[in-house]
Formats: sequence, structure tokens, C-alpha cells
Amino acid sequence: MATIDGSSIKKLIVACDAGMGSSVMLASTLKKQLAKNGVTVEHSPVAHIPSDADVVVTQSNLANRARSVVPDIPVIPFQLFLGDPKVAALVKAIQNGTTLEV
Amino acid sequence: MTDYTPAVTGTGARAVVQRFGAFLAGMVMPNLGAFIAFGLITTLFIPDGWVNRIAGTQTEVSTQISSIVGPLIVILIPILIAFTGGSRVYGHRGGAVGAVALIGAMLAPVALQLTPISLNGEETAPPASIADIGPTILAAFVLGPLTAWLLKLWDNAIAGKVKGGFEMLVDNFAAGIIGGAMAVVGLYVVGPITFWITQGLGALANGLVNTGLLPLVSIVVEPAKVLFLNNAINHGVFTPLGVEQAAGAGQSIFFMIESNPGPGLGILTAMLLFGPRAIRPTVPAAMVVHFLGGIHEIYFPYVLMKPILVIAAIVGGASGVLWESIFGLGLVGPASPGSIIAWAFVSPPDQIVLIMLGVIISAGITFIVGALLLGFGRKESAVDAELDLEAAQEKSSANKKASKAAPASA
Repeated sequence: MATIDGSSIKKLIVACDAGMGSSVMLASTLKKQLAKNGVTVEHSPVAHIPSDADVVVTQSNLANRARSVVPDIPVIPFQLFLGDPKVAALVKAIQNGTTLEV
Repeated sequence: MTDYTPAVTGTGARAVVQRFGAFLAGMVMPNLGAFIAFGLITTLFIPDGWVNRIAGTQTEVSTQISSIVGPLIVILIPILIAFTGGSRVYGHRGGAVGAVALIGAMLAPVALQLTPISLNGEETAPPASIADIGPTILAAFVLGPLTAWLLKLWDNAIAGKVKGGFEMLVDNFAAGIIGGAMAVVGLYVVGPITFWITQGLGALANGLVNTGLLPLVSIVVEPAKVLFLNNAINHGVFTPLGVEQAAGAGQSIFFMIESNPGPGLGILTAMLLFGPRAIRPTVPAAMVVHFLGGIHEIYFPYVLMKPILVIAAIVGGASGVLWESIFGLGLVGPASPGSIIAWAFVSPPDQIVLIMLGVIISAGITFIVGALLLGFGRKESAVDAELDLEAAQEKSSANKKASKAAPASA
């Protein structure tokens, strides 16, 4: 269990297999939600996650691959691409600057 | 991951397949725009395309424009794939040498006068010129990354040993020599080998279609899709097979197998009406993104939540393939993303009604089987459903802990 501080997140990466479909969709949703918080939201293929990311969000089936690419960056796995509680919790932690257990 | 080989567990093997598939798909997917251009020009301007149908005659402009179709698919697309594969391994220079090497393999059937395997008793002859070759995508998958890797090895071996001022001379000639040498290797070795493998795969696929066994591939395809192997399967296997077939026959059923949005729509509809109550509100938006947007990933989690539903997807997917093989349907190019809109754009004009019906049939059958498997929602209560979602999340965080503890992720 690691704790991440919502206020320290400046770059959030949404990763999917190809980095072209589902990640783009979720990234554009999160970009809107986090526009006021000065967070850069980008999408990427899971094999090419940029190493300067502060947190990675990906579907739980791809989480182990994400962790093997960037072992030092917290990876938040989620189930649903729309309305997943884990993603909602992360957004809330960033907006309110609170901490989150991952 | 570097100095420790993890035991091949379920997830381990899946991650390996996912990674290899993503490597192949990664060479195809950045170039999908070229495939779409090919598909659009084909449906619009071939002799039987939309323009001639609407004009009611063979128009001169469509004859002129349709000359673009062949070179796009047999020359440009394999080169793009080889370039992309090479650049993934070693940047732009890697891409350039990969593309050079591919040209050797591309021309092997012409230079060595290789005769294609005869299918269904038709006469075959070796290609007379580059205009008669097939798309050499398999060779591109091999030669792009391999040649770039050789250049990388060479560059690493001489790093720091080149006298100041001679770096550009050495770098350019190294790339030129490696690329040129690999083009010769491509012509005599890789080209013939991949030609015969492609011919064999084509004959095997043709046999599956002729014997009516093709729907059985859904037994593999649908479960693999929901494990996020969708791109690996579609763009690693079916797109290359389909391109090969479409270059000769003008269309291919292989573009339809993975990209059919019907089964996913059926799953989502079953979930909307009979799934766990807590997640039903999330389904309508998912249906739009899946069916119109073509992002199939969005329905996978619903299947993973109720794994029994994969049976519904298999039955629905196989029904679609059966329908398509009975009527000899096919798409002219890959439908990517797998949206109903993309399907409509790459459907041959004379088949579009039957093709749309096939999608509806596979959606309907998936829905019916899915509804049965969910017991029409009778077994669900709101409390159960929330427990389900929590349990799924606990399970995934338990997996996460296990993977952190295991040396596999070290």
C-alpha cells in the first residue's frame, strides 16, 4: 500500500494497450475534470508510459504490464471506463488536495 | 523483469501474449489512416463501387482513381509497417533501414518467379511485375524490427570508437550497408520464407471458409478479446490475413471477425436490462462509445465482472461469422475502430444490407444468450450487485499485492 498526495500530482497518464482508443476517451474526460487543477493529463500505450508521470491510471487487466514499465510510479487500476469509483476517488483527491491509498 | 524470468502463470503468459501482440499491432495501428484511405477509395471507385453505382455506368474518373488502390495496399502499406516496426526499435534511422530491407522481400516473388498456391482449382502464375505481387506484411513484421535491431547493435558496438569528424560518414554508410545487405537477405531468404508461410496461411484460411469451420474461431477470439488481446488479434493476425485476401479478391471476411460490434452491443444490452443493478446506469453511455465510437474495450469489464457472459459473446460472434460466410460477405479494408459507422464505410455497396443484418443478428443472439445466462436479472438484488463490484475491486487489489510481493515484478 502506498499513499499518494493529490496535491503533488502534476502529470497523470491514462494508459491502454494501443494508446489510441479507450485511453484517449478517458483522458479527455479527466482533462476536463482536472482542467482547473493544473494537472497535465495525457494518454499513452502501456508499453511507452513516460517516466516523468506522477500517477498512471489503467484498466486492471493492463496494470501488471504498466507496473513492469514504470515500477516506481503509482498505478491505479480500474474496472469500468465510465463511472469507475477508483477513478472518481483519484479525481476527488486531486481536486481537494487530499491523500489517497493505492 | 530484467534478471529474473517469471514462472509462466495465467497472467504471466497472458502478459507475454499481450506484449507480443501489442508489438505487432504497434506496427499496424499508427498506420491505420492509410488502411482507411485504401478502404474508402476502394468502396467509392472500384468498378462495382458507389460512384459507378450512383452514376449507373462505368465512369472514366473512377477508372482513373481506382489505379491508386493496388499500389496503396501492396506497396505503401507494407513499407509503412516495416518503417514503423524499425522506428519502434531504433528511431527514424531504424525505420529507414527496415523499409529498405523490406523492398528485397517484397520483390522476391517477381525476381525469383515464385508461383502462388492454387486455391479452388484456379490457374496461378508467378507475378510478371511489381503490379501483380501480394502485400508483404509478414515480411514487414520481420524485416522492419530485425534490420533496425542490427543497426542498433552495430552503432552500439562502434560507439565512441569513431575518429572525430567521421561520425556522419560512418553512421550513414553503416545504415546504407546494413539496409542494402538486408534487402538482399530479404530477396533470397526472408521474402521466399514469408511468401510460402503467407501462401500456406491463405490456403488454411481458405479451407476454413470452404469447410464452414470459420465460425469456430470465435471460440478463441471472443474470450481473448475481453482479456485485452483485441488489438493483438485483430491487427496482429486478422488485418494482415485480410489485406492479403482483399488484394486478390477485393474483400475479406477476416476484417469482420474481431471488429464486429454486434456481440459487444448484445452484452451491454443484456447488462442494461438484467445485469447487477448498481452498474446498470453506466451502461447506456458505454453502448454509444462501443457501437458508434468503436471502442470495444468499454464492454470488456462487464464480461470480466460476469465471466459466464463470454459464452454469449462466443455464440453471437460465431453466428455473425456463420452468416457472413454463408453469404460470402467481406469488408474491403479493416474497420478500425470497430464501429458500425466504420463498418458502413468499408462495406461493398452490394453487400451493405446483408452486412448490417449480420451485425444485428450477432447482437441479438448475444443478447438472448446473455439474458438467459443472467437469469433475466431475477437473481440480482441491489445489495448483491454492490458486493459484486466491491469483491471485484478487492480481488484486483489482492492481485496487485500478490504481484508486488512476487519477484516477477522485481
